[in-house]
Amino acid sequence: MNKNMRNSLLILGLIILINWNASAQSYNTLWIPDTLTGTNFNLTIKDTFAQIVNTGNQSITGGINGKFWGPTLIINKGDVVNMHVQNDLNDSTTIHWHGMHLPAVMDGGPHQIIPPGTLWQPYWEVKNQASTLWYHPHMHEMSQEQITKGIGGFIIVRDAAEAALDLPRKYGVDDIPIAISDRDFNVQNQFSIVPYGDSIMANMTLRAQYSVPAQYVRLRLLNAAIETSYNLGFSDNRSFYIIGTDGGLLDAPLLINGATPRFLLSAGERVEILVNFSGQSGSSVFLKAFNQSLGNFIPGGESFPNGPFASFLGHTNYNIVKLNVTNATANPITSVPISLVTNTYPLEQDAALTRIITLSDSAGVTSVPILGPNAFILGHQLFDINTINHSIPLNQTEVWELKSTSVFAHPFHIHDVEFKLLTINGVTAPTYQQGWKDVVLVEGGKTVRFIAKFDDFADATHPFMYHCHIALHEDEGMMGQFVVTDINSVNEISKEEIPITLFPNPAHDKLFIAFKNQAQSAYYVSIKDFLGRTKLMLPQPYVKDGIDISSLSKGVYTISITEKGSKQVITKKFIVN
Amino acid sequence: MKTTLAIGVCILFIFVFGSFNLTLEKRVDNFTLLNVNGKNVSTQDYKDAKGFIVIFTCNHCPFAKLYTNRFNELNTKYSNLNVPLLAINSMDTLMYEEETFELMQKKATKEKFNFPYLQDVTQAVGKLFKAQHTPMAFVIWKENNEWLIKYKGAIDDNGAHPKLANSYISKAVDELLNGQPVSNSETESFGCAIFYRN
Repeated sequence: MNKNMRNSLLILGLIILINWNASAQSYNTLWIPDTLTGTNFNLTIKDTFAQIVNTGNQSITGGINGKFWGPTLIINKGDVVNMHVQNDLNDSTTIHWHGMHLPAVMDGGPHQIIPPGTLWQPYWEVKNQASTLWYHPHMHEMSQEQITKGIGGFIIVRDAAEAALDLPRKYGVDDIPIAISDRDFNVQNQFSIVPYGDSIMANMTLRAQYSVPAQYVRLRLLNAAIETSYNLGFSDNRSFYIIGTDGGLLDAPLLINGATPRFLLSAGERVEILVNFSGQSGSSVFLKAFNQSLGNFIPGGESFPNGPFASFLGHTNYNIVKLNVTNATANPITSVPISLVTNTYPLEQDAALTRIITLSDSAGVTSVPILGPNAFILGHQLFDINTINHSIPLNQTEVWELKSTSVFAHPFHIHDVEFKLLTINGVTAPTYQQGWKDVVLVEGGKTVRFIAKFDDFADATHPFMYHCHIALHEDEGMMGQFVVTDINSVNEISKEEIPITLFPNPAHDKLFIAFKNQAQSAYYVSIKDFLGRTKLMLPQPYVKDGIDISSLSKGVYTISITEKGSKQVITKKFIVN
Repeated sequence: MKTTLAIGVCILFIFVFGSFNLTLEKRVDNFTLLNVNGKNVSTQDYKDAKGFIVIFTCNHCPFAKLYTNRFNELNTKYSNLNVPLLAINSMDTLMYEEETFELMQKKATKEKFNFPYLQDVTQAVGKLFKAQHTPMAFVIWKENNEWLIKYKGAIDDNGAHPKLANSYISKAVDELLNGQPVSNSETESFGCAIFYRN
């Protein structure tokens, strides 16, 4: 062996040693969020910090009951769930229950602003079927910043139909939630507020790995990114089954196979998949984003070397989480059910109308800060929080036609309903998109049609939102709002004072509101302290049971009660002793 | 021609030297604020001070809470060298109940602050410094009987692990005490945002 050869081998050895060392240290265990169950959920949102980058400074984050992200809420169809959302952030926020069918006043959109130090207590009966939903901030012009800080969490809805199926259901063992997102860290390890990050995160874990048992495993995948779409697949191109989309389980598992089995997941979307790891104990496989195959006008397919949209992850393939197969659990799931649930979708012939929503670029908009060359807009106008763009009669079935003249693809999200995709450019939507959805990627220049029924919850005052789920676009005004109205409801137009009695006063733990007119009720109650700080926000409270004021310290408070029929506001003072 | 040239030289002079002072070494006025002991504290009270470590902090911010011991240590070390530490709370007390003067007093007592903890109730001093976060640090230095900002930004580069941290503040103050320019005069500050009422 000559000297040069010996030196080369020495260097090669060193490289292998360094790489081995690096790879041994380079994975972090995928963090699985804690779960909360029951019907009362306490969620405290706060500014905090977390050691996300392995070395160096901590990152300033926003967490719910913890350092980053939030607990997974496991709720049951048919239950009335009560949320106790305490905003201890340094700023106002909102929490939107993404995908949930519920009254608009409970929805947590941009109108339900929770000031710092305030407890917001929405509640609703869970009408959604078993599904994977999520919750996140929806504060207009601040969604991108607050989502980037990590505020959010999964919601798992369970029901009897899903429980009867032989599906993986052991949370964190064979039923694994994975929120996929990307972040940009600056030299101080702080998040940059940018649309595309350079670092992929799974459940807020960088370079994640996780042990999966050698059996069928259910992955609940959420795209929690600001902008990126992820073209998901596995490093060995294994096939997998899609069992559920945004709004619940499909009629039957759908096999995704072929040479390159993929599923494109855009911002806000969820998919539930079954992956077979049987007999593979000791092996590893990566869940990957194959974004090199995405076009330049799909979020994540862009490849800018510099500027605000530059990202190392643009138009490239990368690992999301390494899955290390271990031994099977007791009573493993070893097969895929032939069928899942019976979904009844609205029929096109029942649609009362086709509502056309345009997606376009608006050159020359200067009234809002715009990161790119144009703001993207819906219905040819920027979002105006004081404008209701559409009014939909309660129980109406509608076809929505999303017509894009935008050059770019936008994940369109609608609140209140889950919809059924009909066609894309006149062609029946792909099978894998045929389940219940609340987000659909509308590619540039294409026309997407879906059908939905707007039932159960009418409210002429509080609107629902529809918007692009790219948080940057939403913040820049690519959003509109609609109300669902009940034409049979009678609104009193009265300027006369509405007689109510507050008792006891002084009060201690409970405060009761009695309307003299039994037909009247409270639509909204807010309580402020003597300095004008909002302490409690109570949409449609059960006033007959008394309002829980145990969180208030002693003092004088002002209560504002909005009467349901007339929307007249009655203001009174009371004392807590 | 001569006049034009003279004006040109003046503009160049202002551009080169004036902007330098305006951007990197902004002058700040003396200020007086109420300390948690109930007495006013003024920068003018410190006749021998060569400079001050001015730190904007608050009661509730989790990241700011990591730094209490370091504030005490900085003050112990540098007040003896006539560079005392002043901590200022510019948080809006109307918005944030945890930032009241009474709770500042409790915190200072409980955590044995060895430095003044001042309430900027009008937020005037916060605005003067353009403080953005808690914690955010400034080093001001006396030159020609004026206070010039010589450093602004983070305290160090590791909030949770003080032993691993490189102190930007210590480095800046040590350099100034040695008559040297501050080699790293600005870093990014982060923590909880300070919101100002108009």
